[in-house]
Amino acid sequence: MDPGHDTLVWFSKSFGLFYLIALSITTVVYAYWPSNQKAFDHAAKSVLHNEDGPWR
Amino acid sequence: MIGQLTKAERQYALLILLGLALCGLIFGIAGKDDPLGIHGALIGVAALAGIFKVISVYYDPEPGDERLTRYYDDPTKFGIVLAMIWAVFGLFIGDWVAWLLVKPDFTFNAGWASFGRLRPVHTTSVLFGFGGNALIATSYYVLQRTSRARLPDQLSPWFVLLGYNLFCVLAVTGYMMGITQSKEYAEPEWYADIWLLVVWVVYFAIYLRTLARRKEPHIYVANWYYMAFILVIAILHIVNNLAVPVSFGSAKSYSLFSGVQDAMTEWWYGHNAVAFFLTAGFLGMMYYFVPVRAGRPIYSYRMSIISFWGITFFYMWAGSHHLHYTALPQWVQTLGMTFSLMLLIPSWASAANALLTLNGAWDKVRDDATLRFMMVAAVFYGITTFEGSFLAIRSVNSLSHYTDWTVGHVHAGALGWVAMITFGSIYTIVPWLWKRDRMYSPRLVEVHFWFALAGAVVYVFAMWNSGIIQGLMWRTYNESGTLAYSFVDSLIAMHPYYIARAIGGLLFLIGGIVGAYNIWMTIKTESKILPQSAVDAPEPALGGEAVLQPGE
Amino acid sequence: MFGLHYRLERKAIGLTLGIILVASIGGLVEIAPLFTIHQTVEDAPDMRVYTPLELAGRNIYIREGCYACHSQMIRTLRDEVERYGPYSLAVESKYDHPMLWGSKRTGPDLARIGGKYSDEWHVAHLNNPRDVLPVSVMPAYSWLLRTTLRTDDLNAHLKAQRAVGVPYTDDMIANANKDAYGQAAPDSPYADGVTQRYGKATNVRVFDGKPGELTEMDALVAYLQVLGHLTDAAHKTVADVAR
Repeated sequence: MDPGHDTLVWFSKSFGLFYLIALSITTVVYAYWPSNQKAFDHAAKSVLHNEDGPWR
Repeated sequence: MIGQLTKAERQYALLILLGLALCGLIFGIAGKDDPLGIHGALIGVAALAGIFKVISVYYDPEPGDERLTRYYDDPTKFGIVLAMIWAVFGLFIGDWVAWLLVKPDFTFNAGWASFGRLRPVHTTSVLFGFGGNALIATSYYVLQRTSRARLPDQLSPWFVLLGYNLFCVLAVTGYMMGITQSKEYAEPEWYADIWLLVVWVVYFAIYLRTLARRKEPHIYVANWYYMAFILVIAILHIVNNLAVPVSFGSAKSYSLFSGVQDAMTEWWYGHNAVAFFLTAGFLGMMYYFVPVRAGRPIYSYRMSIISFWGITFFYMWAGSHHLHYTALPQWVQTLGMTFSLMLLIPSWASAANALLTLNGAWDKVRDDATLRFMMVAAVFYGITTFEGSFLAIRSVNSLSHYTDWTVGHVHAGALGWVAMITFGSIYTIVPWLWKRDRMYSPRLVEVHFWFALAGAVVYVFAMWNSGIIQGLMWRTYNESGTLAYSFVDSLIAMHPYYIARAIGGLLFLIGGIVGAYNIWMTIKTESKILPQSAVDAPEPALGGEAVLQPGE
Repeated sequence: MFGLHYRLERKAIGLTLGIILVASIGGLVEIAPLFTIHQTVEDAPDMRVYTPLELAGRNIYIREGCYACHSQMIRTLRDEVERYGPYSLAVESKYDHPMLWGSKRTGPDLARIGGKYSDEWHVAHLNNPRDVLPVSVMPAYSWLLRTTLRTDDLNAHLKAQRAVGVPYTDDMIANANKDAYGQAAPDSPYADGVTQRYGKATNVRVFDGKPGELTEMDALVAYLQVLGHLTDAAHKTVADVAR
């Protein structure tokens, strides 16, 4: 009947795909950004350090 | 434990409890002709008990500032104990209802004991009671350690933990009285839902406030998962529970949505409760406790981030695979199926990450039942997510839907993944929290492990068999082109599998009881060989063999 | 010091917003179109609402957790249509707040159970399923026959239903009480009002076999007997396809 539903479905189908692609790229770029490497390595090891209490 | 509260916190606690008691009173009066009145009384009694407890310590000396040099673990300890109580209770009810399908007359001729009312008691007790308490308790622990910051205050963690348990008690007692919204995994009625929302907002605030005081700029990935769990559950909870109460004095409400919208909203919720409660939350647990217990950093930190966003994104679209071949528009079904298949990528990345972390520490996995719990959990997680994607395929789903296969799938996830990772994490955390050098009995951990594994395997195989047989019988035609079996034929064929399933559940329950006993004895028994130096626990150290239990 | 503090806090909030954004879009994109779906839901001008007695029965169905073992959604599969009847249409549950499509068939689908069995069969079966079907694993609901139905709040129930979109009239709300009684007491002066307000096809009978008493059994059986009969749109669709 009124175009609302079809427009919404069309938007869902097309926009959803681009959104998915953009999101995947952003995530992978973030994960592999060279300068983040150090922080990630540090974080991965940080849970293993013996610690004695809150830092403040 | 409440003695740790400062004077101001005790006053706030009293204020909150008085407010709660007032709410109880109002509901008790407004709902005096309704089951709501009983819940009003229950809320009032709970609040009064809290008031007495706080008053009893009100004039005790205040804790000194030296408390701020230690992490605040009292709520975590209490939460672990509550989680184990809920585990034993929920598993017991689960096995009870399993036997009800074998012997349907064990209902004492009473409404509260019938399958339909006890089934949500089981699901709520194990998912929200056991799982939820374990998540809250471990999240406090992990949050503080990874941020190197103490919880922001000492009252709000208690408010969240106890408030959450009040919600669980309201839910479970409500079902037995017949109070339910009928939405699966969102059965509690409007007033309990509002209360949970308040609790949940405070829970998230604790997270933000603690993270704001953290030492490292980067937030450790386990916290990402815990945060996604808290946040998304809040969104799901609000949307799915939109309803109009019949009156202020009535427990009953009517869902704002109807028919196909309601179905889509419910399974968008239902599937994402699996995703963000039973997956994201417990992945948070996994990403902290597997590395710590194994004494090795996570295999690939990058992979954990990529799978995080993958899970956060893909899961949200997958809910409609619960509604294949129904009155839901086909394009939504197809969308759900596609995303369910894509979900396999981040899911397997997470499972592989855990297993690869253990690669090179297999000797520890062999000797240490606690680590083995977590290893098996990761394997079950891999199997279950594969099965989930498989079942989301329309043609497979046409066979499996409405059958016991779904039940088997859910329990592969719940028993194999959720419960196993939780038991592993609890066995890791308990000796540290109570400053013991090991569990009371490592041998009983071993016993628990084998009971749990055997129980899960028996259960899942019984349900796979019964589900597939059921599905095939329903769709089999004879030579003359008519349906070969009546529904009753399929029911008779289920009988042996229902017995097998109940036995599998019993094994798992026995394991849970052994675990609860072991934990209780660890708490009760003072350890004789406490390391002298440690004011604090012998907490994770690189290559922490010292904390590993020889598994006999 | 405060600058640093601020930045750290900002980052946690950034993560929070990221999670909300990423997570909520899936739901929005998928669910939002369903709310304009009244355009795709079939028309069923003849569709009627539940009578107060049927609604009360539906609430008992919900209270007892019947949906845990019985679905009310016949899928578009040949064997299901042959076993249970024409597949379910979206329109058939448009007044169902909440829907009771279910997810498990420990027992058979009930979407079209109405009219398939007699009232006596339902009463005997609910009273003790094993009297009718020895291998049944369904619980016995014998207390339904002994429990008087609560009717004093039915008008509030109808009002709440109207608030969520079910077209109950003022007349229906005002007479909810009497209609509930009248539907199970065909000889009473209240019986006529039921057919007048809800249509001639409404079942007006002593459902539980105990005239003069309005029990929960009356309500539940009245509900079960109307399942699949609020509209005949599904049967029409099948006829259309056949043509």
